[in-house]
Amino acid sequence: VLHTTRPLHTTQQCLAPLPPLPEKGGEVRYGLIPEEFFQFLYPKTGVTGPYMLGTGLLLYFLSKEIYVINHETVAAACILSVIIYGVKKFGSDVAAFADKLNEEKVARALSVKNEAIKDLEAAIEQEKKEQWRVEGRSYLFDAKRNNIAMLLETNYRERLLTVYNEVKKRLDYQVALQNLKRQKEQDHMIQWVEKNVVQSITPQQQKESIAKCILDLKALSKTAQAAV
Amino acid sequence: MNLSFFDQFTSPCLLGIPLILLSMLFPTLLLPTPDNRWVTNRLSTLQLWFLHLITKQLMSPLNKKGHKWALILTSLMTMLLTINLLGLLPYTFTPTTQLSMNMALAFPLWLATLITGLRNQPSISLGHLLPEGTPTPLIPALIMIETTSLLIRPLALGVRLTANLTAGHLLIQLISTATTALLPIMPTVSILTSLILLLLTILEVAVAMIQAYVFVLLLSLYLQENI
Repeated sequence: VLHTTRPLHTTQQCLAPLPPLPEKGGEVRYGLIPEEFFQFLYPKTGVTGPYMLGTGLLLYFLSKEIYVINHETVAAACILSVIIYGVKKFGSDVAAFADKLNEEKVARALSVKNEAIKDLEAAIEQEKKEQWRVEGRSYLFDAKRNNIAMLLETNYRERLLTVYNEVKKRLDYQVALQNLKRQKEQDHMIQWVEKNVVQSITPQQQKESIAKCILDLKALSKTAQAAV
Repeated sequence: MNLSFFDQFTSPCLLGIPLILLSMLFPTLLLPTPDNRWVTNRLSTLQLWFLHLITKQLMSPLNKKGHKWALILTSLMTMLLTINLLGLLPYTFTPTTQLSMNMALAFPLWLATLITGLRNQPSISLGHLLPEGTPTPLIPALIMIETTSLLIRPLALGVRLTANLTAGHLLIQLISTATTALLPIMPTVSILTSLILLLLTILEVAVAMIQAYVFVLLLSLYLQENI
């Protein structure tokens, strides 16, 4: 069915791309009569042909009273002058306004496209920056590695110090213990010696020593008295 | 063609075929069809801009339910505008000078707004019959006055449009007749009269556009009250 109906199609099947609009509208003379009419009459009647035709027709209508001049003629003159004045005065402004509307429409779409392009370019810049950052990653890791090594070293040293202190404490204890022991032995020996000596002093010896001391004292007192 | 003053108001007939429908549908031929492209020619762009303008103006005071009336009000506005403006050309027939046509436009549309209001929100609709803050003794009289004004609305709409356009056209005819008649007798006065005619024509152009707008605006106002 699709192929049999194909010859009956009057418009193109596909809607895109549409042919572009012509830049300017058709040329018209006096705002009404297309230029093609003048070109059409030019070969046979020259430049003045259409004007002669127009004037002749007008005079024919007027003289034969096919067109009667009545009140409508005056009204027609008035409304036509108003229309022509309006078109002449505001025509270009209205055209510029219509063009501006179209321009704004196209500009809005273009701005969407440009915004998208700008966003994508910014994203590309960001990505490049991230790639540059990745290059510096090795330095980061080195620094981190150094950090960790320092921490480990410090920890080891601290533990070493602790060990040393503990060992020193134990050894000091032993040394103190030995000193104490010797001291005690010394004291004990001195006490024992003294005790024995005191025990050994018999009463006979005691009396002799006391008599000697008194004699010494008397001798000394004599010399002392002399000294004083 | 010797025309009397009222020949322009007779409904056109050709060989017994009434042409009123043709004269009502003709203005649509002058509007460009929306083309199937994105960036259109100037006329289509201007038409689109103008329709947007009208629609926004008419629809902004209405709530969401009232937006269903967008198509009929906008197309009514366009039709009245084109018919009125085309009627200013010589030897044309303006359908809106016929009371029958204007009543046929005004009455059903007004009645539609009224029935919509009375059906969906009867209390609010009837509440519009009494303006706020009236002193109590005045209420019965005011209700009757408001009811009268409500019922006279379609008549007012139709007659307003008819009268304005008919009066304008008639004035143009009279003054242009005066100009034509005075031309051989007192040419200076004739020229003065033609100046008056020029000003009147400008007025008539304005009136044509304003009357179309007022018709549709009033309908949208009645719709606002009732929807």
